[in-house]
Amino acid sequence: MERSPVAFDQNFSGTASDFLTLLRSKGLLAPALVNPVPQAGTPQKTWQPTEATTILAFKFSGGVLVAGDRRATAGNTVVYDRADKVLEIDRQSIMAIAGVPATAWEMARVLEHSFQFFRRTQLQEMSVDGKVRALSKLLRDNFGFVMQGVGVVVPIFATYDSHPKPEARLYFYDAMGAQFEAADYAATGSGSPAVRGILYYENTWGRKPLQELSEDEAVSIALRALDTAAESDTSTGGVDRSGKIYPLIKIVSREGITTLPESKIAAVFKETVA
Amino acid sequence: MIEEPYRWVEAIANRREYIEAQLAPGSPIAALGYRDGILFLTLGKTRQKIFEIYDRIAMGAIGHPGDIERLRMAAIELASTEGFSRSATDVSLRRLVHYSLSPVMKTAFEQIYGPPYLARMLFAEVGERPDDDLFLRVEYDGEITTNGATYAQARQDFAVLSGTQQSRELMEAFLKTQHAPDASFEAALNSALDAWSIGHMTLQTNDAKELPERAAVTKYRKEQLANSGIEAALLERDAGRAIRYRLLSDTELRSLIND
Repeated sequence: MERSPVAFDQNFSGTASDFLTLLRSKGLLAPALVNPVPQAGTPQKTWQPTEATTILAFKFSGGVLVAGDRRATAGNTVVYDRADKVLEIDRQSIMAIAGVPATAWEMARVLEHSFQFFRRTQLQEMSVDGKVRALSKLLRDNFGFVMQGVGVVVPIFATYDSHPKPEARLYFYDAMGAQFEAADYAATGSGSPAVRGILYYENTWGRKPLQELSEDEAVSIALRALDTAAESDTSTGGVDRSGKIYPLIKIVSREGITTLPESKIAAVFKETVA
Repeated sequence: MIEEPYRWVEAIANRREYIEAQLAPGSPIAALGYRDGILFLTLGKTRQKIFEIYDRIAMGAIGHPGDIERLRMAAIELASTEGFSRSATDVSLRRLVHYSLSPVMKTAFEQIYGPPYLARMLFAEVGERPDDDLFLRVEYDGEITTNGATYAQARQDFAVLSGTQQSRELMEAFLKTQHAPDASFEAALNSALDAWSIGHMTLQTNDAKELPERAAVTKYRKEQLANSGIEAALLERDAGRAIRYRLLSDTELRSLIND
């Protein structure tokens, strides 16, 4: 018999409300693979870590800055030059994505709804640790697809923790779901080696450590880093000077998330980068 | 025995009487549409009675906490899966209540070997303009009342919930004359407190037919405010953010109350 739209569990305890379980029970989310290793008969494809993009995030005096270029590629073709890879999950959290867009955007959507579902049902905000872990679990559930050569996602998660001590937090992940907390900066995607080099250099020998930068200085470094990544990585859009397409930059702070207006990014770019 | 139609009607009537008696002491809840949103308000010290359901939908309820919890959870699950699989704008309070909650509550109420839901709920959905605000009251038997215009009454920009019909009707009579859809937040807050006081006073007496004197309401309200916490939440009309629900704290409201 088909389940009624309002089927109640008589032994309901109030704690069974995990949004992923709910979606799976309604057939709205692919089941987590118990054994992600491809079985005999599955066409084998070697896994190539093709996260064709560049995403970076670092802590500065005003919180965490998260920036991403706008290019989406399929193989060596540019399919879209206004892709949004820096996504707001809730009022305080940002997920920036490198990897297969279909999977990444779906993950962001699941995550966004999970946090809200938790708050509405449990009548309290999910803790930062809980949120970080939720993304880790989604990545782990997706690992079967990664092993089959499709659906790899390597995200960065930035949020503001007001409890116990108010501070910005920054995490990066690997494709299997391991989470790492970044002290100063994180970068992911095909252009990230160059970006990591720049951020390390700036943080160690630059005019001042990243955590002490003003907003304008931080934006300037983010733009320079993305432009450098685009110089050698064909999958990174960097700054499109002729088309006037700038990277997407968002800032997470105590007050929530701010998306920098394009005019502001353009001004900093004109003054300190171009 | 119970298969005979007459017995069934009698059993239903008994059940109705029983549930009404259980709900009768329930403290009133007022929901008022104003210029910048919808305000939900009640007074009380014990358990939470006002809840967020989805981006633009909130709920207030009286009844048995276990039943309220199951209905609340069902409403959130339905709205969340709809919002996830389609989009947040496809989640509609009208559909949620008319097609999902009401039929289930009616079935539970009329199947006399099973337990009914001991709950009376008030839902509101904030619209782009005050004219688009939707209020729905759902009874334990699945009966739905809306704020829409009918042949007998004009469209209302408020809805209330209380333990007894008498209490509810007096609150409605008060708000009909005292509340306007373009009211400021402060005006809406004070009307809501007055309406709550009238509703709560009426619950203490058995035969109030008329609205109490203005001075009596003010006095009662002052006494109650001294002893009870205010529970309130907003659905903001501001279109800048998807999630419109916001809890209001007791302290931020106290300064806006006219004594």
